[in-house]
Amino acid sequence: MNPLLRLIAFCILAQAAVLGGAFQPRFQQQSQPTPVPSPSPATSIETPTQVTTRSIIRVNSTNQAYDYQSPWQKKPSYSRRGLGVLIGENRILVTADLVANSNFIELEKAATGEKSTATIERISYECNLAILRATNPIFLYGMIPLPLEGKVSIGDSATVLQIEPNGELARTPGRISSISVAPYPLENLGLLAFKLSIPLQQRDGSFTLPAVRDDKLVGLLMRYDARNQTADIIPMPVISRFLDSVKFPRLGVSYSPLRDPQLRRYIGLKEPGGIYVTKISPKSSAASAGLREGDVILAVNGLPLDQDGNYEDAEYGRILFSHISSTLTAPGGKVVLKILRNTKIEEITVKIEPMDRSNTISPSFIADAAPPYFILGGMVFVELSRPYLQEWGVEWTKNAPQRLVNYDAFQDELPTDRGKIIVLAQILPSPDTLGYDHIDNVVVKELNGRPIKSIADLAEAAKHPVEGFQKIELEEDPKWLFLDAASIEANRAELIKHYALPATERLDSATSALP
Amino acid sequence: MPMTRLLPLALALCLSAWTHAAPIAESLVRIEAASQEPNYKTPWSPGTVVSGVGAGFVIDGDRIMTNAHVVSNARFLTVSKEGDPKPYTARVLHVAHDCDLALLKVDKAEFFNGTSPLEFGGLPEIESVVSVYGYPIGGKRLSVTRGIVSRIDFQTYSHSGVDSHLTIQIDAAINPGNSGGPVMQDGKVVGVAFQGYSGDVAQNVGYMIPVPVVERFLKDVEDGKYDRYIDLAISYQNLFNPAARRALGLEDDDRGVMVGAVYGGGSSDGILKAGDVLLEIDGYPIASDGSIRLQNGVVPLTEIVERKFRGEKAKLVIIRDRKKQTVAVPLDDPWPFTLQSNAYDEKPRYVIYGGLVFQPVDRNFLATHDPSNQRLNYSFDFFVEDEIYRDRKELVVLSNILPDPVNAHTGDFRYSLINEINGRRIQTLQDVAQAFAKPEEYYVIKTADVGPPIVLERKAVLASTENILKRYGIASEQNLEK
Repeated sequence: MNPLLRLIAFCILAQAAVLGGAFQPRFQQQSQPTPVPSPSPATSIETPTQVTTRSIIRVNSTNQAYDYQSPWQKKPSYSRRGLGVLIGENRILVTADLVANSNFIELEKAATGEKSTATIERISYECNLAILRATNPIFLYGMIPLPLEGKVSIGDSATVLQIEPNGELARTPGRISSISVAPYPLENLGLLAFKLSIPLQQRDGSFTLPAVRDDKLVGLLMRYDARNQTADIIPMPVISRFLDSVKFPRLGVSYSPLRDPQLRRYIGLKEPGGIYVTKISPKSSAASAGLREGDVILAVNGLPLDQDGNYEDAEYGRILFSHISSTLTAPGGKVVLKILRNTKIEEITVKIEPMDRSNTISPSFIADAAPPYFILGGMVFVELSRPYLQEWGVEWTKNAPQRLVNYDAFQDELPTDRGKIIVLAQILPSPDTLGYDHIDNVVVKELNGRPIKSIADLAEAAKHPVEGFQKIELEEDPKWLFLDAASIEANRAELIKHYALPATERLDSATSALP
Repeated sequence: MPMTRLLPLALALCLSAWTHAAPIAESLVRIEAASQEPNYKTPWSPGTVVSGVGAGFVIDGDRIMTNAHVVSNARFLTVSKEGDPKPYTARVLHVAHDCDLALLKVDKAEFFNGTSPLEFGGLPEIESVVSVYGYPIGGKRLSVTRGIVSRIDFQTYSHSGVDSHLTIQIDAAINPGNSGGPVMQDGKVVGVAFQGYSGDVAQNVGYMIPVPVVERFLKDVEDGKYDRYIDLAISYQNLFNPAARRALGLEDDDRGVMVGAVYGGGSSDGILKAGDVLLEIDGYPIASDGSIRLQNGVVPLTEIVERKFRGEKAKLVIIRDRKKQTVAVPLDDPWPFTLQSNAYDEKPRYVIYGGLVFQPVDRNFLATHDPSNQRLNYSFDFFVEDEIYRDRKELVVLSNILPDPVNAHTGDFRYSLINEINGRRIQTLQDVAQAFAKPEEYYVIKTADVGPPIVLERKAVLASTENILKRYGIASEQNLEK
């Protein structure tokens, strides 16, 4: 076996291990990947694309996420490999999860194996897209940007590109079987996606594969279901929105279909279609516009909605209305909603902005940021977040401490000035914490009589011990914990040395990696 | 809740009896029970009948003592003596599910001819030898095993699942069928065999109910009825930490625990406060881990309360705001806790309206349904700790939808807590029944989960009720009685 093949084989196995672990498998239901990929067996249904490796580049990213349980350290690093598409001068489009929490990004020319480093120009975990930039633009000389194509419909063919070990393109044709708003990975928000029916093979580097049609890019593969042989594709409307603005506008409503005739009669709904607003996200565009729970949305921008919330899109057919508000409208743009409120029909104009997540109590997704923490005499305090809860594994909703799961699940119901939920996550046993070592994952209310709404609050309050004691008040048993302020100062160096802590605090969620 | 599960000893099958020379055998009783356990998924069904065997023994007053779990949900009981194959019908005189004890009486007095009531001893010494009598699996006749007293400690009684009392661990084999049998030492009963670990968890670990618990039960029923155990209804925490001791103004003498929560409506509500330090209970000094030293060893301070009855007081020496004072807590039973315990001899309650099934959630319900509704599970787990009971006396949920045209579009609302019906706040299942009993054109049901209200039109429901009951084999559209 030549050395190159052996190297590739190793990479595939390494990736298989990662896929089997904590990360969402890109190729679901995939059995043992074969080390040497065979050429595509599919006979082409259409003329294969003429796109060449001059528009496609290998991207190797070494990523490393923080360990939310021991927030002063990172977890083991892992690599992801995918194919990026040159879409403009020194602009390479990839999916965001290829480079999430990246430490080091490398571009590799398929034909020659030449390599260069890259940085992230922009990234959005909402739409799972990122643009990379070669550190040395000369590296990309001679490459040709691929034009973008937005016009596709159900039944059209599209070809997914992969690269063979010999540097040649493998082209697998497929057919678009449906177009709908579907949940995106990472932040789990709904955006337009194509479903492509395609028999893809597991090959080296399965994150980010381009889908092309008539020598133009129609989208990027974001998920592949090997059992059903369907790929989810991020389509051009979403890519275009991302190229305009990193953040997607959001209406901020939850809704329920209105199929029950008894409910329709009760609310006095005589018109056909319409959806029932069940929840308005706090501080959302819908909240600012005065939309309320119980309103019925009948039409968006004059387009009537059916009882499931779909409108008739000129290009894609029946599509969920959120496509209008989150993708077709630019941030700061307006949509006009026709609503039924208290049996009267009204019109309401909503200025749609991206969701303000700056004050989210427990963020559902965090990447490229270091979690804040504070250690006081061996007590480790962190801010509650979904990634923290996910440290309990796939079944975290069952296995993580239920009070914390509950805070996360119903955070919208907390007072708007609640601030972060500060958790005494664990205790690094030391002479100061004698008798406390069984305590973990309890919620902090006050420190030294000061209410705690962030890690920074905690650090500030710790500067003001009361009568020589750090007095910690918890929301649950045990209600109070005391530490000797002078003693923990005196033992601090020993604690740092003993547990090899790089620092006893990180007060801000300093972002790494991103400019 | 304990991590490892204690199994109440299921009843073994055993048919014949056998003569034994010792007087203990004369007082030993084999109990056969036909019991009927309701199914909380079909609360309208009476349940499946199963039969089992347990042990018991004769005590004074022509009574038979056994475990509550031997006779729980019993529909028909027979007892027979060693050496006398004749079965006699018996009835439950008193049952205490919170300490797994029961007393039976026999319809015909002649049953007790030739028996002699067993007497109770005290707490046996650690390492002393005891004998266990019963009808465990592995054969049909009376079985005697021997072992030593390994440990005297508090343990959760798995029959109720939430109550902890003094328990004696012995290394004699205790197996299914030993339940309710006497554990003897020097001719006296020192305990009632009741639970053990299954062999894959721990070996040679059997548990018996010690005499203090048995005697409390016997004294409780002297007035003709059994009252539940009472409780201080507080949580407390250890005070090992030197800084915590100094902050609270305590000496370095390893005494005292700090009160964490004082549950609203409980015995100590308004008397104790979070942050109080408990130093003494009824004159016994409390160590910094919450233990006290009784004549037979070290036990948790709650053992003092365990031996008392409703209305009695516990005298506590406490430190509040650095000042020592004495308080008396009149003891009462902790009602909110009962929701979290296994219930027996109860009929499942439910209301069916338009094919929608409403049920109150308790431990029995959860054991059958295992719902994945986050808000419900939280409300149940933290019912006491977060005082959910102030808001909801019962956790009433929509547990099922029996498909019918009337609810064809109702959607998926399984296990949502019911907040209100037509503006009426739902505190109990009774509230649900009353809301539907009041004639309205529409019934608007609001749940605690995100979603539109569930709307039922009265005339559509009335037209569908008979069909639904018939189709699903339901005799009555509601049962509000336990």
